[in-house]
Amino acid sequence: MISTTLTVPLLEARALSFLRQDEPVFAPIDFQLDAGELALIEGDNGSGKTTLMRILAGLLHVGAGELFWRGEPMQRDRCTGEILFLGHQLGLKADLSPRENLLIAAGLNGYREGSSITSILAEIGLGGFEDEPVRRLSAGQKKRVALARLLLLPASLWLLDEPYANLDRIGIALVNHLLEKHLAAGGAALVTSHGAVSFHGGEPRHIRIHA
Amino acid sequence: MTRPGLAAACAAMLRRDLTLAWRRRGDIAMPVLYALIVTMLFPFALGPEDTLLQRIAGGVILVTVLLAMLLALDGMFSSDVEDGSLEQLVLAPQPLALMMGMKILAHWMTTALPLIVIAPLLAAMLHLPAAVIPVLLLALLLATPLLSLLGAVLVALTAGTRRSGMLLALMLLPLCVPAVIFAAGAVAAAQQGLPWIAPVAWLGAALVLAVVLAPLACAAALRIALDA
Repeated sequence: MISTTLTVPLLEARALSFLRQDEPVFAPIDFQLDAGELALIEGDNGSGKTTLMRILAGLLHVGAGELFWRGEPMQRDRCTGEILFLGHQLGLKADLSPRENLLIAAGLNGYREGSSITSILAEIGLGGFEDEPVRRLSAGQKKRVALARLLLLPASLWLLDEPYANLDRIGIALVNHLLEKHLAAGGAALVTSHGAVSFHGGEPRHIRIHA
Repeated sequence: MTRPGLAAACAAMLRRDLTLAWRRRGDIAMPVLYALIVTMLFPFALGPEDTLLQRIAGGVILVTVLLAMLLALDGMFSSDVEDGSLEQLVLAPQPLALMMGMKILAHWMTTALPLIVIAPLLAAMLHLPAAVIPVLLLALLLATPLLSLLGAVLVALTAGTRRSGMLLALMLLPLCVPAVIFAAGAVAAAQQGLPWIAPVAWLGAALVLAVVLAPLACAAALRIALDA
């Protein structure tokens, strides 16, 4: 058999599944994700979208099947820091300000060359709220602080679980803009969403999962 | 893209937890007040008899400090589990065990250190001879980090379960018995003018072992807690 693709996919899943008490959470799925590609994960409530995200992030172990990162079996220490996970829990400390939260994230993960926290917070629509404790921000503003991590931290694969939740129209446009920029720079993203995604950079791929 | 070094990541982690503790200063004062009140009540309950108070002083202070630490132990990881910061920490490209070590250090600095600072005051209230106080402080300096480390492993093990306080207290009790025996033994020996270096050396040995192993156990336990 002759391999026709020269480029190795960034992330590849073969018959991936997850077992909870010996019951599969979702039917085995196969997919490939190349650099510069966006894929939407679709499924009903409880079909295992978040579970899939947590497996890909490395928080849950692979139940069955195989997962490859840049063509090699995925191992935690080989891809940490290259994958950025944004889940339902935003991972923000309520007592700290957006600036302090981002400083910690950058302190642990590093930061993109030439990025500054002040300009990122302004870009994300939180200018003037930099030093306000996160507990005083609205749900949508908290989400924006979490989204600011996408701009600040270096990562090639974004795993966004319901990134549009709690966001207003401008916020949704902002997420789409961030995704377009990320893909244009050669990054890849997996997104779960119930809402309509009006993505301008071509039709995204759809990965359907069934319970 | 710039990746932070280990020292920078450790500093960021330590600064985060200390800032958080400072924002909730009232919580730091709680164990200190608890220890003060408990120690103050002993002379009232037992009568102001010098010899009796002197005899029990070392034990009372150690047990009071231990119980006061137990008050704050429960919350070591709970807020991080709830708001998802623990997930972010696990996914960060840093050795999790080292980050846990920093968290435990921050926890010890904010709960045990204030208790050690007021220990001479507690000792004075129970008429412990001034010559014994340095030994008491040394014993506390070795025993309290040992308790923080052992406690952190148990808190990590029970991190996924709700209402884990009861379970935690039951599991911690047998583990802290040796620490209390050696620390109280050192204070008692010093009070009787006997050499006290042996029990202190045992505490030191246990602490060294715990410093190496506890953060690793903590990291493993938290990974398991998240993987469910």
